[in-house]
Amino acid sequence: MATSSSETILQTPLASNHEGLGAKMVPFAGWKMPLDYGSILGESRAVRTTAGLFDVSHMARFLFKGPQAAAELDAALGGAIMDQPVGKARYTMILQDDGGIMDDLITYRTDEDEIFMVLNAANRHRDWEILTSRLDQTECCDLTEDGGGILAIQGPHAHKILAELSGGGSDFCPAFLDLGQIPSPWGDLFIARTGYTGEHGYEIFVAAEQIVPVWEKLLELGAAPVGLGSRDVLRLEACLALYGHEIHEKITPLDAGLRFAIKGWKTREFVGGDALRAMDEPTIELAGFTAEKRVPREGYAIFCDGEEVGEICSGVYSATLDRPIATGYIKKGVDGAFTVDYRGKQLPVERSAMPFVAHNSRG
Amino acid sequence: MRPEDRSYLDSHEWAKLDGDIATIGITDFAVEQLGELVYLDLPDVGRTLERGEAFGEVESVKAVSDVNSPVAGEVVETNDGLPDDLEALQNDALNGGWLIKVKVSGPDALSGLKNAAAYEEVVASES
Repeated sequence: MATSSSETILQTPLASNHEGLGAKMVPFAGWKMPLDYGSILGESRAVRTTAGLFDVSHMARFLFKGPQAAAELDAALGGAIMDQPVGKARYTMILQDDGGIMDDLITYRTDEDEIFMVLNAANRHRDWEILTSRLDQTECCDLTEDGGGILAIQGPHAHKILAELSGGGSDFCPAFLDLGQIPSPWGDLFIARTGYTGEHGYEIFVAAEQIVPVWEKLLELGAAPVGLGSRDVLRLEACLALYGHEIHEKITPLDAGLRFAIKGWKTREFVGGDALRAMDEPTIELAGFTAEKRVPREGYAIFCDGEEVGEICSGVYSATLDRPIATGYIKKGVDGAFTVDYRGKQLPVERSAMPFVAHNSRG
Repeated sequence: MRPEDRSYLDSHEWAKLDGDIATIGITDFAVEQLGELVYLDLPDVGRTLERGEAFGEVESVKAVSDVNSPVAGEVVETNDGLPDDLEALQNDALNGGWLIKVKVSGPDALSGLKNAAAYEEVVASES
């Protein structure tokens, strides 16, 4: 793996596999990553109907250890960590003092005294600075460039394919957010029933000697390689927030409708907690829209009965619905005929329930 | 190399002259860069274009992009069926996927544009 000097673009151990599969490689958060393997829409459909395989080894991986790790992280993060059971994953955030969101992340309680964490690649160095400054007695380790990585297998066939790879039983991770360990010809694999698509799926945390053979075997067993372009389509169909779009420093978990990510926030002591408790009800809300042909893109203004009421956060062409979908913050409670300013042209959009595509992740 | 019977803009449009009518389209490289197309907007017949003026928009799953005219003149015909048959643009950008025909004022309408060899260097630098 490449070094992390600022001139070097990082690549995952699968870079040559991606190129061999005809991937369009693009720079993303300091990494060279596959945008697509030929068809963003086709890859999205594969995840919804069979199974897709993502290389998400660019994501930051941190490990926290020590008898005070859970208690210290409980105060450092938005979410409750002390009551997170061993063997479970949980979605939460790093907040700043004013309640604004610095990043979203998943914590994996791998042991009483050990918490593994996956965070956004783009925020890795800032997250590391913030977390290490907030933790006093906890041992912190950045594993991101250890030569291993994360593979995500997502879709209705994911369980069957993973069971076939392991050659063991198929009773791993019975519930959403469960952690597990399965055997493989390359040693035990640490897995979690998590993902970013809304489908039933798993994230596999692979060591340096496992990543290439496990990737190749999962493709051989029928998973389709899926790039970051499709990952964005799938996560927006499922209305899973993306940092820098639906969530950022100027948005609180209350604005974003993500109170579940700050469990116990009304009574717990944590960075940002006092600010959140002192706030009035949000004056904005996240809304979903569908459009006829053209994609409402980030930054386009949203109008309701001719009055500007907000701005698009994310827009993609949904492969599942075969039409454009988008999210945007609007003034809370506005209702009427919605339009979007497409580079100078006002076109109608329709308010939609969210998520756009129902979740199967718990099924 | 791409066809030598026409001229190219750096922004990946082509123009092919037949008498005083220039047929205009975008290159296969532009289509490949855009990816899967979802929308195309063409101008009305009768509109007058300056060289370099944006006359339409092409949108893909990934991005939306202006389409610029390599020539000055009046739009005399558009490829009407194309917005509803984006496959033709996706798969045949240099022929059946043409966008508009423009009546130009003189035989030097294409002067100053890139030939196929020079355009190939633009493609190479962006690939």
